[in-house]
Amino acid sequence: MIGVARFLQQRQDYENATARSYQREIVARNRLAQGTHPTAARAAVISQQHQRQALRDEISSETRDTALLVGAGLIAGLTGAALLFTGLISSMRRPLEDLVDASGRLAGGDLDARVKIGGLSETATLGSAFNEMAEELQRRAGERDQLDRMKDEFVLTASHELRSPLTSVQGFAELLLLERENLSPKQAETVEVILDNTRHLVRLLNDLLDLARSDAGRLTIRPEQTGATGLIEDAVRTMRAQLDARGQQLSLEIEPDLPQIEADRDRIRQVLVNLLTNANEYCPQGANIGVKAHRAGAEVEIDVIDDGPGIPEQQLEHIFERFSRGDAGETQRVGGTGLGLAISKSLIELHGGTIGAESTPGGGSTFRIRLPMVIPERVEAI
Amino acid sequence: MARILVADDSETILLLLRTRLEMERHEVATATDGQEVIDKVDASSPPDILLLDAMMPCKSGIDALRELRAAGIETPVLIVSAHTEGGNGADHADLAINGYVSKPIDFDQLFAKIAELTNG
Repeated sequence: MIGVARFLQQRQDYENATARSYQREIVARNRLAQGTHPTAARAAVISQQHQRQALRDEISSETRDTALLVGAGLIAGLTGAALLFTGLISSMRRPLEDLVDASGRLAGGDLDARVKIGGLSETATLGSAFNEMAEELQRRAGERDQLDRMKDEFVLTASHELRSPLTSVQGFAELLLLERENLSPKQAETVEVILDNTRHLVRLLNDLLDLARSDAGRLTIRPEQTGATGLIEDAVRTMRAQLDARGQQLSLEIEPDLPQIEADRDRIRQVLVNLLTNANEYCPQGANIGVKAHRAGAEVEIDVIDDGPGIPEQQLEHIFERFSRGDAGETQRVGGTGLGLAISKSLIELHGGTIGAESTPGGGSTFRIRLPMVIPERVEAI
Repeated sequence: MARILVADDSETILLLLRTRLEMERHEVATATDGQEVIDKVDASSPPDILLLDAMMPCKSGIDALRELRAAGIETPVLIVSAHTEGGNGADHADLAINGYVSKPIDFDQLFAKIAELTNG
């Protein structure tokens, strides 16, 4: 134990001594730095005087000649460089300007844009790389266009081929029901199931066809002067049986003297039937569904209102997009393609109108169509 | 009652159309392509109405109609089309088409159009 205590004491003394000498050193260094250390200051002044003198001697004797030489070389070099640069710039500017111009045209969709190869080897390489890229882009665009045409053609042909057998199935099922008195109740019910499903298939087919047409820029309307009131009543009449089947009440509030509008009757009816079908299918049994229409300035405003479950906010912003559907459970029960509202939007926009939706979960939904009485001169193709 | 010449390349659809039209007491003749339509239209006593499918192999309803119109036959015509718009979306304003019927056929609408054409 004593040994340890002495060791600790010695170590403490050593550390104290070290700290003291360290402090002395710091003070000396600080003085030196400030030029206040007496010996160091003197030495520094003498040394600087000597150095200045030496430097002056050196410059005067040797470096002056060298400086002259360097100066002359610099002037000659700069002149040469300037000449070279002017040449370089002018031989690069033209091809680069061409490239910028061609890139602009290519980006703007002109796939024929090419540059003339020329100038320095670097700009020539750049130019031919650009031309190769443009070539490849054009080839791929051509392939894509051809595939698009084939797809459109296929959908149109498939639609035609499917429509003929569907016409027969629906037509003969209707024919059977015309002679209902010769059918047993069970048979009549069976035929009705066939008819319901055929109509559903036709609806799906029509949606797909409209989608393909819309993609090909071939979704068109045949507008004519038509009474808005008759148009709405027509759509409601089409839906009456389906609404009754679910015990849903339909109220119709059409402002008297609603004006004539310029519209494709079949297409506007399609949109209204689509909205009413959605209300019919997504609302529970016994729900209240309303159609209101009135004139608003140079437009006719048609609302399809229900007191059903409403649409959650995050779905509401997407409902006019393709393949947008209600939640999974609802979707399974309801069926459909998720295309109805997207197509409705395209059709309303072809009329120069707008369609929108408001909804509160649990508080029902309102779909509002605004149709101009006269279709504006130029409605952008959808 | 009207005398109607119906053309479609599907025998089944011809049977359907004939049955429904005859139930409405119309007199029906049928053709399965455009050439047969031309052959069956007697210029001295043409039918009251032509009901032509727009797309038929060999000679379409539109092609047959073009020939008939060129021959001066002005019989009213309804074009039946698989597409919801007639004749592939083209208007054929020069062919004096009186209406379009889309497939599947809405027979109430078809009968209304026929009544309109025969009375007017």
